[in-house]
Amino acid sequence: MNGGEGIFDVTPQITPLVAAAHELKAPLALVRQLALRLGDEGLSNAERQRLLRQTVLTSERALRLTSDLTKVARLDSALFQLEPINPDQLCRDVVSELQPLFQAYGRTVAVKGRRHPLLLVANRDLLRRILLGFSDNALHYSLPGTAVHLQIQALKKSGVVRVGVRDFGPALSSDMWRTLKKKLNTAPQAIHARPESSGLGLFIASQFADAMNGRIGAVRHKDGATFYVELQASNQLSFL
Amino acid sequence: MTRVLLVEDDAWLAEVEAGVLTGAGFEVQVAPHAPAAIDLVDSFQPEVIVLDVLLAGSTAFALLNELQSYSDTAMVPIILCTNIADQFDAAKLKEYGVNRVVDKTTMHPDDLIAAVRSVV
Repeated sequence: MNGGEGIFDVTPQITPLVAAAHELKAPLALVRQLALRLGDEGLSNAERQRLLRQTVLTSERALRLTSDLTKVARLDSALFQLEPINPDQLCRDVVSELQPLFQAYGRTVAVKGRRHPLLLVANRDLLRRILLGFSDNALHYSLPGTAVHLQIQALKKSGVVRVGVRDFGPALSSDMWRTLKKKLNTAPQAIHARPESSGLGLFIASQFADAMNGRIGAVRHKDGATFYVELQASNQLSFL
Repeated sequence: MTRVLLVEDDAWLAEVEAGVLTGAGFEVQVAPHAPAAIDLVDSFQPEVIVLDVLLAGSTAFALLNELQSYSDTAMVPIILCTNIADQFDAAKLKEYGVNRVVDKTTMHPDDLIAAVRSVV
């Protein structure tokens, strides 16, 4: 036997619509279970409040995905303003937005600071969405008690700035890593390749990166992974 | 008290499911990923394993392969708890030692309890 191949009796054709439906199953199933648990009469008030908080935060994760999908559908017809952006400040905004979710899951999220400021050319909203998506993914794969780091790195030779999200968790198996690398620049893949993830999040991130003339990538570590987006460095760097 | 190992990488879902099973009188330990599950199989010696399909870093099938390769764990009943229950080939699942499949998207707490009781 192997890693599960042949165990599925259907190999569905994955369109973005099917992938979206699939990706929304997990948060919706969780919301349903939390709601069923809330119906338990023996719960303390504190427990009930905690379950309500988890329900709200899980709903917000699902809503972020639906919002990103809407944005992807409109990418062709929309004009996105590209402007010099300070990635450090944007990362700090993303961290502030995600702090309650990470705290509720017993993880932390932080920006790994740089001594020298950088500017890159991007659309603020699209870059923010990419980083939120990568961070959400990191939350799922990081271990309790660990920190997720948003990192900024200048690749001077190629004139780009790399903004990455590093998680600390179990190393990805070689099979899963190969599958994941294939997903980085392709449309959502057949579900059987990675049963509970169609690669939709990566597809969305790559579409947003394309719209900003950038690209996404990933680095595998012994204790986790980094997902990153590379964007052109701003010429205004020299004025800082 | 029947010992149940719950392998689930979503902490909140694991909490809910563990609460349901504990409330029904089972002794429950939770593993968030495959290596932790292997450790707990040794130390906790579960009588039933409830397993999510995708685990951080690997899939349930890699873990199932490992469990099937040891004589003392190959006989432990496995319940697969998944969002994609409708996509599995039941006959193939048996080859992996899976006794029952529970659909997370429609599951009621009583279904999980009944599934565990049915394999003990």
